[in-house]
Amino acid sequence: MITTAATPSMDAEVLVIGSGAGGATTAAILAEAGFDVLVVEEGEWVEQGSVVPFSLEQMDRQYRSGGVTVALGLPSIAYTEGRCAGGGTEINSGLYRRPPHEVLARWAAEFGIVDLDHEEVSTIADEVERAISVTTVPGPSSAPSEVLRRGADRLGWQNSEIPRWMTYPGNDPAKGQRQSMTRTYLPRASAAGARLVTGCRIDSLDTGGGIARRAITTLAGGRRGTITFRYVFVCGGAIQTPALLQRSRIRGHIGKSLAVHPTVKLAARFADELNVPDDVPVHQVKEFAPDLSFGGSASQPGLVALALSDQWATFSHAITDWRRISVYYAAITSEGRGKVRAVPGLRDPIVTYSLTGRDRAMLGSGLARLALLMLEAGADEVYPSFRGAPLVRKRSDLAAMQAQFSANKASVMTVHLCSTVPMGEDVDKCGANSFGRVHGTANVWVNDASLLPTAPGVNPQGTVMALAIRNARRFAGTERSRG
Amino acid sequence: MAERFAPPEVTAITGASGWLGRALVSRLLSDPSRRRLRLLAHTTAEARALEALVPRSGTTVEVVIGDIAKPDTAARLLHGTGPSVDVIHTAGIIHPTSTRQFLEVNTNGSRNVAQVALDHGVRRMVHVSSNSPFGTNPRRSDTFRAIEPYHPYYGYGRSKMLAELAVIEAIEHGLDATIVRPPWFYGPFQPPRQTTFFRLVRAGKFPVVGDGEQRRSMVYIENLVDGVIAAELTPSARGKGYWVADERAYTVNEIVETVGRALTHEGFTVKPPSTRLPAIAGHVAELGDRIVQGLGRYQQQLHVLGEMNHTIACDISVTRRELGYDPRIELYEGMRRSIRWCVEQGIEL
Amino acid sequence: MASDPRHPRLDRIVDPFAGVLLGADLPDLTLERRGEVVEFVRRRVETMPSLTRFGVTAIGVLYRLLLDVPFGSFAIRFLVARPLPILGEYPRLIRSLGYAYVWEHWPDSLPSGASR
Repeated sequence: MITTAATPSMDAEVLVIGSGAGGATTAAILAEAGFDVLVVEEGEWVEQGSVVPFSLEQMDRQYRSGGVTVALGLPSIAYTEGRCAGGGTEINSGLYRRPPHEVLARWAAEFGIVDLDHEEVSTIADEVERAISVTTVPGPSSAPSEVLRRGADRLGWQNSEIPRWMTYPGNDPAKGQRQSMTRTYLPRASAAGARLVTGCRIDSLDTGGGIARRAITTLAGGRRGTITFRYVFVCGGAIQTPALLQRSRIRGHIGKSLAVHPTVKLAARFADELNVPDDVPVHQVKEFAPDLSFGGSASQPGLVALALSDQWATFSHAITDWRRISVYYAAITSEGRGKVRAVPGLRDPIVTYSLTGRDRAMLGSGLARLALLMLEAGADEVYPSFRGAPLVRKRSDLAAMQAQFSANKASVMTVHLCSTVPMGEDVDKCGANSFGRVHGTANVWVNDASLLPTAPGVNPQGTVMALAIRNARRFAGTERSRG
Repeated sequence: MAERFAPPEVTAITGASGWLGRALVSRLLSDPSRRRLRLLAHTTAEARALEALVPRSGTTVEVVIGDIAKPDTAARLLHGTGPSVDVIHTAGIIHPTSTRQFLEVNTNGSRNVAQVALDHGVRRMVHVSSNSPFGTNPRRSDTFRAIEPYHPYYGYGRSKMLAELAVIEAIEHGLDATIVRPPWFYGPFQPPRQTTFFRLVRAGKFPVVGDGEQRRSMVYIENLVDGVIAAELTPSARGKGYWVADERAYTVNEIVETVGRALTHEGFTVKPPSTRLPAIAGHVAELGDRIVQGLGRYQQQLHVLGEMNHTIACDISVTRRELGYDPRIELYEGMRRSIRWCVEQGIEL
Repeated sequence: MASDPRHPRLDRIVDPFAGVLLGADLPDLTLERRGEVVEFVRRRVETMPSLTRFGVTAIGVLYRLLLDVPFGSFAIRFLVARPLPILGEYPRLIRSLGYAYVWEHWPDSLPSGASR
């Protein structure tokens, strides 16, 4: 176990807040560069394999607020945040996508990001892929995954198996080990001398004249404490990071441009049993990227029931067939944006999000295309997850499905949250500079998904890690030379 | 290039006096391998006009008069055509006086033709459908692929969707049929509403809704004829549906600019475009269209204006690959030819 | 698990409503199981983020008051059948927590909540 107990008075050269994809990589890079690093994580260390993936128990122990977090709007969008050592990397699908070249180029141009060198990011991505063992499944992919491939192939839609950060001891596809942060960058940071403290929440940063001097903490049991530091990296994720900066009275373009990948779902039933309760399909359909993508969701029977619950009156008969059912999603890149606002006196920020008319149309059209794919893949019944959805058995039912669909009636959710402290030199659009230093501050950096100027249209962890390493290395080079 | 059938002994065509119908007939009349044409006209006047066409290469033309919505018309069309006959079904109504006509003509008419074609044992039926069963694209950057879910755009879309479903049902019972889906037509043989379009552009008054960057696929009529014939004569096209359109979609701004340029180069004076309506005008028109159609009536301008707000774009790559379809004419050239045709017909622009 | 002392007595607010809702949705769920699900739902409400918990609690109070009124259960059933914009979020949330729990723990339950 590499964690140490939090104490009321702590000190470090570099304080890293949060231990997820951004925090863990930052800590490892800086510790290896010789900095004295303290990583402070609000959640607990939960060993991979000690909870069933996608179970309610996992949501209790490793998600913020038991997984019940919502961005208010019409409709509200449910989201999830990791709250544990390793953050979101411990609980997500594990699907890895390289930072997309065109997206990086667009960010650099539209947000004024300096020195965003595609070659450099690409080399870092290679390094990350080795470090977390990005690999495809050895052998055939699961039946629910095959559904996506088969349906997409019949429609002529581009699709592929997405690799994941996994090792497969003995090359056994059933025994994959997630190479999340608790297995990779956190032990690496620790081996290089970084300290990791869990169960400690950062309430605010004391700042004056653009310099942050100490953090006010709340420890287990409610005791207050402080941490003094020379530099601080805020890596709490796209919701907690801006909230913390706002509580610390740091002003700027912070919390104003939340971008997510809104997602709608359906369940589909097939002739043969195919349900895999504790794993997620590795195939994704990218024919309509970046606007729209399809993939598979966790489908343990509780989640199948959830997918059917919007139209329980007419769909409930399917629950007894859960072994023949799998849940799939259609995700869009959204034109709409949201806001994160810390409110004095409330522990959690208020999150709002608003979808545009075209976002809604895209969700409806996306879900119908996904339902079509399911029919082509051989589904005998498709259950779209929205109130008033018709049962879909054949292509002519898709017209009724689209006619009935409205985003307000669907359970819209997202598992990707970005863009609340966008990086770039344009201070009107960006909260941090080209390397993550918060505008208007001298020693506060952000180094997580908040920096991504838009939601990238692909699973963002690869991009978050590559940018975090780029920024951390730049910091190390610059600050070390200052002595 | 895809493998091809030889042309049939008889080619039966419904809607022979329509825009596509006349272009198709004109093409087939100059093809010596087309021995007999059996054409359906709606009225006596149409029949006479068709009979007056001079075949350029010894093709026999037989005209049948009838209303496609009536059950026996299709049977009379195919009566005595023998075992080697293809049916190309282009008859339909786009802008009716009452919405009842959508179902009567488009749905029931197509069902009648498909049923009779199946009973007769035609070699191939080509069913001319539309983009309308699939609605509009959710975003400007979106494009319809070869297979899409149904999302009919109001009365016309619904009737054309039901027509496709009737043809598909006949296919499941053994009919050899292919569905062709063209978007907005342009080109020679155009009807009066298209003349209005040219006049509006000349006057600078074509109503561009919103910023005009919404995309619309269009199809030059000769490209469409190529596509229909390819669908007719490609054996492997059986049971499938294909988009037949120009190479790419055009933005509304591009359309107005190109038509203006074509008119200028054909010697017409053209005023610069001055009519821009906010996007809300399109939404209001569409709402109006929905209400009017809900009452069983139909108002053409309201419908067209409502639709102008949207993107309707389709991808022809599968049509190219499987039918060997290649759209030879694009917008500027196609518009110049249309304008010249109007001038030749004595139509005032 | 003891209730968090910082929160109002949520068991008095959440439990009866959740009980009625689940009782209506899943009539054949045994009382023992229903109790377990209701307790799980209440624990989740306790850990919800501030604003959501406040909203859920406020609406819960409303429903709780309805329960005490004559024909209150009938009124509740009427309201939860209508997809009202804000009031509708609360039953929907309880329902999703409840269903996820039932089928994760007793996956062979029938649609009415009965065990097979």
